[in-house]
Amino acid sequence: MVSFELKRDRILARWKKQKYEWIIEPRYWRNPILWSMLLLVVPLFITGYPNILTMITVANLYACITIPLALQMTGTGRLNFGPQLYLGLGGYTSALLNLHLGFSPFFTLVATILVCMLVSLLLSPITWIAKGLYFSLITLILPLAFLDLTFIYGSLFRGEVGLMGMSPVINLGRITWNYVSYYYLSVFMMLIFLFVAEKIAQSRFGVTMAAINENEDVALMMGVNVNKYKVFYYVFPSILTGIVGWFIVHTFRTFAGITYLPLDFMLKMLIIVMIGGRASVYGMIPGAYFVCFLEDSLRSLGTVNYFLFPLILIIVLVALPRGEGIYGLYHKRHPRDYFPVMRVRRE
Amino acid sequence: MLLVKLQSVLVYTFIWGSIYLLISLGFSLICGVLRIFHLGYGVIFVLAAYGTWIFIDAGLGLFPSILLMILLQIAVSLLVFYKGIFQRYLDREEILLTLTMLVFMMVTHLANYIYPITDGVNLPTTIIDGTFTIGAVRISYQMLFAALTGVLVTLIYIVFFLKTRMGLIIRAMSQSTQASLLLGADVNKMYYLAMILSIIPPTICTLMIAPFWSIEPHMGANLMMTAMLIAILGGLGNLKGSIIASYMIGFIHAGVSFLYVSRFMGFAALVITLIVMIFKRGGLFAGETIW
Repeated sequence: MVSFELKRDRILARWKKQKYEWIIEPRYWRNPILWSMLLLVVPLFITGYPNILTMITVANLYACITIPLALQMTGTGRLNFGPQLYLGLGGYTSALLNLHLGFSPFFTLVATILVCMLVSLLLSPITWIAKGLYFSLITLILPLAFLDLTFIYGSLFRGEVGLMGMSPVINLGRITWNYVSYYYLSVFMMLIFLFVAEKIAQSRFGVTMAAINENEDVALMMGVNVNKYKVFYYVFPSILTGIVGWFIVHTFRTFAGITYLPLDFMLKMLIIVMIGGRASVYGMIPGAYFVCFLEDSLRSLGTVNYFLFPLILIIVLVALPRGEGIYGLYHKRHPRDYFPVMRVRRE
Repeated sequence: MLLVKLQSVLVYTFIWGSIYLLISLGFSLICGVLRIFHLGYGVIFVLAAYGTWIFIDAGLGLFPSILLMILLQIAVSLLVFYKGIFQRYLDREEILLTLTMLVFMMVTHLANYIYPITDGVNLPTTIIDGTFTIGAVRISYQMLFAALTGVLVTLIYIVFFLKTRMGLIIRAMSQSTQASLLLGADVNKMYYLAMILSIIPPTICTLMIAPFWSIEPHMGANLMMTAMLIAILGGLGNLKGSIIASYMIGFIHAGVSFLYVSRFMGFAALVITLIVMIFKRGGLFAGETIW
């Protein structure tokens, strides 16, 4: 039987030996709710500007890729240089199943989750075998090998031009409404990812994540089943990234490996993590928005934007507080906050 | 027919392997001495091609242009990469890697902005024009010359590391920087030297392969990937490993191209490297020492 108990700042729910708590003190949830409300209201003012709506939708998707990535980097204690592998896997799985076998978006979602889970489970022993830089290098090679495959089997993957004409996840009849609906879907997906990642980070799982990131041997000594947790932190974020691939396929209705699998895209994700502030999953959202806004606003300058974009990012990366990023400017770090250290090369 | 194919595999294993050796030598050197995975290594190729071209375009002759380009390479390598990034972010490798990649991206796009792909670059670095045949295989003199240069440069580097005092210090640093410091090595000066040494082989390589390779602003990414694959396969920072890995990758590329289908050659090299990394974690010569 579930029992509830009201404490000063939280509601405690108990069921058997399990305990759940919900903080009711406004300072803990006021700002997230205000920001979420803002995200929900924004499209009402920009429905006539589909390019801005698309830009924010893309920013939300980037955040959806980097939130699990941040979780994965801390949970496995390794820097993943190839999160786009699962984006590609998810995208191609749903696109091919939809185009060739006529699967509906719901079934392609199920298939994407299964494929990403299976592949990530098969590859998860890499987190046991490879440490530090070697893990980063293996993960760097994997999406490039997949990209090569999309060119080799060009008749199936259409590596250069990509797959087109997949069925939309929602069709409201008018293009503007579709843009707005995709925006809201991306916001909901981002908020769900954020909520899940935050809950994991705050839970007992989160403590093990920190322990593994700090020192695997000490974590093992303290009774943490390091290998089991590393598999979880590799597989779960990979599935979430795969879902983003599915989303891209059924909203933009086009998917090309050449867009998402090369080093450039990985670099963009890595920059979002660094600029957003790797200490918190919340940091991924301002990071993604910053990178998207910057990329989009520079586009009007013509070809010089390709040069200015990395230049500005270098300046920002050097100027921002180390590791805390944009989120660090907003959120004052408390002594009790866990601040994960990312060491590529570990002893 | 099979005999001709085997001859082609053998000849091109030597040629590609030697060129790959030039491509990867600098990368392995930085990995071994500075213990840094230099993701901005591709800048060297772009600067070698476009740095020379910019001076030729300004009306200078080939040799003054090459000289000025080398000075530019040294300035970028020491001031931007070493002083600006490596020294400052040595303890924060994730920022270091991101910054080096961003600098690479910036230089590539700057080259593309000044000289778009459609403009083309024509470096007059052909030493001997024409082709000749070895058995049933026809190759160009320039290719052979590039391959022989690769072997020669590698030999000079090996002699330098094994027979000179500076080489000895660099080898000692690659084993333990702390111990070298204790024994009185001027580590900082040697790092400068290693940075300069690392730009020589890829610069020579770019100039040698320019007549028969595709010179375009994004060439650095592919060449850096090749260097990375070789460094990973050979064992990070180990020159012995790099030499063997270069010819291995050359053999894989030649073998797959001539005996199977050329479009599989990149994929085959990636898969074999991946398998080696999984089963032999540190590559062929693990240990992260230069020799």
